[in-house]
Amino acid sequence: MISIEKQQGLLLAISKKLKKPIRVYAVGGTAMMFLGFKDATLDIDLVFENKEDREVFKEAIKSLGYNAMDATIVYGGRPNRPEMFTLGDERFDLFVKEVIDFIFSEEMQKRAKQTHQFEGNLILKVADPNDIILMKCATDRLKDLDDAKSIITNFKVDWDLIFKESQNQKELGKIRAMFDLGYFIEKLENKFKMQISKKIKDDLWGALETEAESKKSK
Amino acid sequence: MIIERFIYYLGLHLTMRTKLLLKKIQGTQNIESIMETLGIERSKATYYVYRLRRQGYVKTKRLSNNRRLYNISFENKLGGKSYYEIINKYSPVKITTQEIYRVYGKEPSLEETLVYAIKTQRLRIILASLALFKKVENWPELYRLAKANHIERQIGVLYDLSRQIMGTRKMTKRFRNHALPKGDPSFNYVVPGLRSKDFQSIEKIWKIYVPFNKSDLEDYK
Repeated sequence: MISIEKQQGLLLAISKKLKKPIRVYAVGGTAMMFLGFKDATLDIDLVFENKEDREVFKEAIKSLGYNAMDATIVYGGRPNRPEMFTLGDERFDLFVKEVIDFIFSEEMQKRAKQTHQFEGNLILKVADPNDIILMKCATDRLKDLDDAKSIITNFKVDWDLIFKESQNQKELGKIRAMFDLGYFIEKLENKFKMQISKKIKDDLWGALETEAESKKSK
Repeated sequence: MIIERFIYYLGLHLTMRTKLLLKKIQGTQNIESIMETLGIERSKATYYVYRLRRQGYVKTKRLSNNRRLYNISFENKLGGKSYYEIINKYSPVKITTQEIYRVYGKEPSLEETLVYAIKTQRLRIILASLALFKKVENWPELYRLAKANHIERQIGVLYDLSRQIMGTRKMTKRFRNHALPKGDPSFNYVVPGLRSKDFQSIEKIWKIYVPFNKSDLEDYK
């Protein structure tokens, strides 16, 4: 596990090794730590704007001793798997624009208001908590449900925004996004016996049902 | 695996307890206000402050009467330095903002802070940042940053404006000569859509609209 203080030290060390300034989005446990939802994380999930920036970042972490690992161990055969690097029990999951079945859209980038600059080269933007839930839904790993629950209990989630973003994802070509979100919400409800906005479930399943019906009539 | 999961849940539980406490007493407090907010005795309030301080959430200010004032906030734990903290340190116009931009591993210079403030294109932040012209010393660095961000003329016009309302450090001739408009460029804005009724002469020199009138600058008198 890496704490906030250790993580800041690590990001500073990476910044010193970077060959050029890059901007990156924190979308998972790291983002939750910056937002105060958790104190430590195992995985540092980052989304890059392009492959070139990821290459520069990879070189920097490799020079600090991180080793590549096979992403299929964690993500199986899912599309848009990250490149993964590990040292001890810490792990970097490095995505470029797409996170499994979701895109880190321009709207999500605009909503990432919190910025942390490590020396001159590394600018880290923290995803909005609503978007972190969507990203948790995308990665859907063992602890993602726990993390999503932590956000829901500590933050007033804007389910309308989440629904609209899932529609946006569909328009961007990510046709599974709405279904995955609905499925993720039901898993959350079942696992933690919690009640999540009925409206978003109705909206999601309603929209998906309409879509299915429209195919039938064709 | 089971032990790892137990530790994870224990950590999560303790984090939730701390977060709840933090939520209830965040902001500026003294020991009495914490006692009242939480409905607890002094010894317990002191223990809670101790616990939060140990985790980095508390900044303490000892007052002249030996009493302590606490700033309790999640941001204290993050460390680093914010551009807004630097502006607030030097300016009579104070800024409070939800926006977080923190810099780690180095102290942002006044020149960087000034450029950041102008790039926000937000009226109050730019107004507050005018005070930095009193302290700016590294004009070559300011010119380099301004040029990289295409705001040389904006810096020039705000400097001339600041000279009219307060004593500032003197801009170097080199900065001025390089930054003054060449040829006949079109007018541009510091804050899109805003122009001044009172500072048109400076606007003409720099071909940049000033977003303030005299009445906006009263805090500097």
